[in-house]
Amino acid sequence: MAVFMDLNLSSSSSVRSLIESAAQLGFSTVAINYVFEPSKKKQEIPTPTPITELMDQLPVVQGRSRPIRVLNRLTVVMSDSSHFRPNAAEYRSFDLLAVQPTTEKLFHAACLLYDVDIICILVTEKLPFFFKRAPVSGAVDRGVVFEVSYSAAIRDSTMRRYTIANAVCLMESCKGRNVILSSAAEKALELRGPYDVTNLGLLFGLSDKDSKEAVSSTCRSVLLHAETRKTASGIIYTMKSCSDSCDQQEAPPQSEHCEAPAAKKHKTAPADS
Amino acid sequence: MSGVIKKDESGVYQRVVLKNAAPYHYVNVCLVLEDESTKLSAVEFKQFITSGLKSLYGEVGAALAFDVLKYNEDKRTALLRVNSRGLVKLWSSLTLLGSYQNQACAFRVLQVSPYLLALTGNSRELQLD
Repeated sequence: MAVFMDLNLSSSSSVRSLIESAAQLGFSTVAINYVFEPSKKKQEIPTPTPITELMDQLPVVQGRSRPIRVLNRLTVVMSDSSHFRPNAAEYRSFDLLAVQPTTEKLFHAACLLYDVDIICILVTEKLPFFFKRAPVSGAVDRGVVFEVSYSAAIRDSTMRRYTIANAVCLMESCKGRNVILSSAAEKALELRGPYDVTNLGLLFGLSDKDSKEAVSSTCRSVLLHAETRKTASGIIYTMKSCSDSCDQQEAPPQSEHCEAPAAKKHKTAPADS
Repeated sequence: MSGVIKKDESGVYQRVVLKNAAPYHYVNVCLVLEDESTKLSAVEFKQFITSGLKSLYGEVGAALAFDVLKYNEDKRTALLRVNSRGLVKLWSSLTLLGSYQNQACAFRVLQVSPYLLALTGNSRELQLD
């Protein structure tokens, strides 16, 4: 059985208590979320704090006797197509890449074109558009997942209505496949245990099985998708070797040539011939 | 309890299948409050859960029958008994309860079982060496 994951913890000041609380509740992997809104003036892409600086010793997951795994994630809030720059070097320091489209056109593009792992569904306001079957099933085929976060539903009863309405609307077109449930919590008391979240998924129109997968195995496939994003066809992976002792060995060039994986250029060419 | 009894031809062995016939589910919960010193009586505790049911499911939800079998005022842990059909409703309303008298709170559901005996121990609290 896949372990439980929560791929959205806000990168606020109380992130340490969030990680401790998540480990206590039984989450084996969490991701700290950095939000980037290009529509606001003078905003730069945030740089993630290294995990080793954040905490000296990671807490042990309840019932597992091994420390929790912490990842970094970037969410780009898009209101214009220029906001998402594919192959931007700043994106590479994050383990996971998510977008939050605000218009139907951008949602369509995010589902079918952009090289991202997660598409966030708005839960704080009424959806300005419908989820069409074609982009949603396109995203499911590409392995991109949709994320519904529940902490807004805990904070406010109006938000709760929007969260449930938007989630049910999504489930009608994706039929429960490729959906993850995450917290987006800012405080430790907004976190809920994995079985509570599974039960909450039933309210969003997921089946028992899909609901459990939304906190476990679908999250795992997101992580694997994120790893293949950095590779060429999921086979070759280049990384900078940072050993100071051996100067002879040349580090892989960090040029633009390297930024775009080779697979993306020859997508139309058949693999075997 | 509805049981399907199938008798073997020889009449020696009997197979009894119970199809999830437990009438009740038992839930062990703990209420975590921002301000640890707040005192809650058993009546206030049940009233709080009922208000959560009402805010999520309305009057019909508030009419859901559940009992507080045991309540520990110091730790704010309780043992609830609920009809198996009402479990999802009760559990989801506990999950979505986020504030008690303008302070943040959270229900931690520790154990859920159709058998009360199963709640006597918790394997997650064992110290493994």
